[in-house]
Amino acid sequence: MKPRRRRRWARLAKRVASHVILIGACAFALFPIYFIVVTSLSTLPIAGITAHVLVPSPSTITTASYGTVLYHLSPNFLTLLTNSLIFSGSSAAIGLALAAFTGFALSKFNFPGRRTFVYFILLISLFPGVLLVIPFYFMFSSLGLIDTYLGLIIPYSAGAVVFSGILVKNYMDSIPDDIEEAALVDGLSRTQAFFRVLIPLCYPVLGLAAFLAFIGPYTDFALAHVFITSNNLWTLALGIYNINSTDQGAQNYGLVTAFAVVMSLPIVVFYMVFQRYIIGGLTLGAVRG
Amino acid sequence: MADLRDQTLGFRLRHEWPAYVYLLPVTVVLLVLNAYPIAYTIYISMTDFGTGGRGSLLSYHYIGLTNYIYAITNQSSTVLALIGNSFFWAGGCVALFLLVGLGLASVLNQPLRGKSIYRTLILLPWAFPAFITLLVWAGMWGYEYGIINGVLNSVGIHSVNWLLSSPDAAWAALFITNVWLSFPFYTVVFLATMQAIPKDLYEAASIDGAGTLSQFRRITLPYLMPTIVFVGLMGFLFTFNNFYPIYLITNGGPGLSTQIFITESYNDAFGAHGASPLYSTAAMYSVLDFLIIIVLTVVVIWKSDLTRNWLR
Amino acid sequence: MTGITLQNISKRFKTETAVDDVSLAIQDGEFVVILGASGSGKSTILRIIAGLEVQTSGHVYIGDMLVDDYEPRDRNLAMVFQSYALYPHLSAYENIAFGLRVRRVPREDDPERLRRFSRDEIDTKVRSAGQMLGIGGMLEKRPAELSGGQRQRVALARAIVRDPEAFLLDEPLSNLDAKIRSNARIELKRLHARLRQTFVFVTHDQTEAMTLGDRLAILNHGRLLQCDSPDRVLSHPANQYVASFVGSPEMVFLEGNVEPAGTGYTFVKEPVRIPVRGVPRMGPVTVGVRPWDVRVERSSSPSAVPARVTGVERLGSSDQLFLELGAPSSPTVAPTLPPLPVRAVVRSYDFNVGDGVFVSFDADRALFFDAEGARLDSMSVATRLL
Repeated sequence: MKPRRRRRWARLAKRVASHVILIGACAFALFPIYFIVVTSLSTLPIAGITAHVLVPSPSTITTASYGTVLYHLSPNFLTLLTNSLIFSGSSAAIGLALAAFTGFALSKFNFPGRRTFVYFILLISLFPGVLLVIPFYFMFSSLGLIDTYLGLIIPYSAGAVVFSGILVKNYMDSIPDDIEEAALVDGLSRTQAFFRVLIPLCYPVLGLAAFLAFIGPYTDFALAHVFITSNNLWTLALGIYNINSTDQGAQNYGLVTAFAVVMSLPIVVFYMVFQRYIIGGLTLGAVRG
Repeated sequence: MADLRDQTLGFRLRHEWPAYVYLLPVTVVLLVLNAYPIAYTIYISMTDFGTGGRGSLLSYHYIGLTNYIYAITNQSSTVLALIGNSFFWAGGCVALFLLVGLGLASVLNQPLRGKSIYRTLILLPWAFPAFITLLVWAGMWGYEYGIINGVLNSVGIHSVNWLLSSPDAAWAALFITNVWLSFPFYTVVFLATMQAIPKDLYEAASIDGAGTLSQFRRITLPYLMPTIVFVGLMGFLFTFNNFYPIYLITNGGPGLSTQIFITESYNDAFGAHGASPLYSTAAMYSVLDFLIIIVLTVVVIWKSDLTRNWLR
Repeated sequence: MTGITLQNISKRFKTETAVDDVSLAIQDGEFVVILGASGSGKSTILRIIAGLEVQTSGHVYIGDMLVDDYEPRDRNLAMVFQSYALYPHLSAYENIAFGLRVRRVPREDDPERLRRFSRDEIDTKVRSAGQMLGIGGMLEKRPAELSGGQRQRVALARAIVRDPEAFLLDEPLSNLDAKIRSNARIELKRLHARLRQTFVFVTHDQTEAMTLGDRLAILNHGRLLQCDSPDRVLSHPANQYVASFVGSPEMVFLEGNVEPAGTGYTFVKEPVRIPVRGVPRMGPVTVGVRPWDVRVERSSSPSAVPARVTGVERLGSSDQLFLELGAPSSPTVAPTLPPLPVRAVVRSYDFNVGDGVFVSFDADRALFFDAEGARLDSMSVATRLL
């Protein structure tokens, strides 16, 4: 073979190999998602789950599982959703305010003790959150906060505060001091400049911080499992865990997957819409070179 | 604001004090909801608190380091197994993350038709909350009814009892699941870093006669090294305490073969022991876990420029 | 409309002094340019006036008011930043209106009470400022959609609309393309003539300083070296640093000795001799001559020194010649001394590289500096010697 021809062949082989690898990666990435969607639309009992499930025919497609999830659960789906939204929403709001103040102070002030403070929050955030459940259990028991809304909202609010505080700080670092100073010369106090100029400039990162603060409680099991005993406080995470681990789920895997789809949907939609910001925000700290 | 690093303490106090006001809420939150509970955990780990052990829920005593000494000296202690499993779990996962992430990123970092579609699809697992997909993955690995065995059967392979019989199979299931959860992140990070490498470096190298592989080895890899080290170490720290994959899929089984500190600790307090929780043991595992993480973090800070970002 | 007075201002850090005992009285309506190299402390002075930084010692007065303890917002100054510092999330209109929206002014009927500007007042002010600066048509655009020149105008409009006590401008032209910059310079000068307000303008560009300033305050290592009109700074620089920093092309310096010669004295740096009037200091002295005061001729004259043209830089309307004094006019004669490099500014295309020429210096315009760089005024030297 002539060298030029050989090079062309090599290039073609490389391209084919690349596509094969990427198709494999996509198949791996999509398989569980595809499985969830397909199973949620089938009526097959769990005993019938074979590879056949993966090739749905129009005659077996049904939304029956969704009907069950939405209307025939106990406690009912609306209660679970309401509770999850209460916990996640209030925790996101409180956590967001804390993160914004923390980021502002750490980014735009040079107060004595700043370094020590950063080391302090870094050290403290190293303790695994799941393991805080143990001391929380005793602290909140003695305060009578077990099995109450407040008892969960308080620890949830603190959950992401260090991470999102640092996230906000890094973002604010990228806003030139000039802009804040222009506002000071224009007639604002530093606090006013924070609210009227810096906060609006931080909307993207604050959105990301809110999203992260929301998703934590939304999918928390470790704390809710221990803290919630009465059914009317159950969250979506407890709901799906319960279905999965009881007979109801074992007999009809469609229920679990339908629940998974409904529960994931708002997160996935939000993610899709703001994908650019979320990926950018989360990889910002990691990309260096 | 102005660079006041060089100012005297009094000057800085006079002009920068509002920062303390802004930090007051978060400080209170961290003290009450982090520092105090951590101290409390350390205290519990030095008592005989636990209905399954020597003390009881109502009366327990300070016993110093007895729990730690027992855990370290006792031959049948689980501590060594937990240390081994935790490091194996975190190290194995990170190795796979880096391998898959680097591989896919370098394939994606070349002119290729449909690149953006591939990228979007690869990122999709990231969009789903991990807790939910992990529950589904647990079902997928099932022996009798799991879809993975279903697919294997359809191509003529016998079912594998992934989660309940062999430690190797259980680890394999855990690794595959966790790679699925994490590889989108690593691929994106490495891809972004690769795209930041100046193109003229490659042009210069190809003029010098470097092939694809030697370009990767001599340009891409050195450029990526800081990111690889940073992301790898952070990934290790995160995975070391990643609770849900193990809790939901194997829950440490079969036996103790996939148990790590965080799952063992949670189970001792709230899980498998049911009516006889071992609070003091759970607290001790928490403390040991914390200590290991602190040591690793110090290494990370020492080895990387992590703090440069934070401390300016 | 008010003057600004700096009284013994210093800004010290633990290890360095950014501003060292600077006193400066800026008159009402004056255009003062603070000129210095980077790190000279010029921006720090501006920021101390604005209240963005606090001096370690000394006092700042705006008008008769001591403002040391005033927050920036209470000083009613307007500032144009080098980066323009426009609010990226607001339109040009809102950027200009921002200061008006947040500020309170005394009521006409009851000066004790404060009121905010009405929507109509703000609109009128913003539009007329926009008109004045020629950005009336792009007020709805965000900063990101504007060109550098347009952003700079928005930043100026934001300052003007506030009707401040004084304008502080921190290198506002340095981010502009060279072509727009000279235009912007003229417009800024015109704006000052029209507003008749106090302008304090910081720059490192001496051309900018010369064309804009009523007075230049020249700073080096935090110290104020001289504050005078551009002409005066050029003709009577306080010291060698100022002499070399101001004027383009840079002044020519020759290090030599003053020796008695006949009835008077002469500066000697072989092969150059420059007669000295008055009674200057004897011994080592540096002479400075503006390159345009260096005469270059084809034919010899009594005090002229032979030289060779080693380089020509075309400046446009004139040429800068690089000369070597003492280089023999004919290559066959061996040089007795190492050639002395000198520059001269002459009419374009009069000379070429390699030309043999004769160089003389305008003794009346030569400046003398001592070893520390201080200028030796004939009179002052004379008194000092007495």
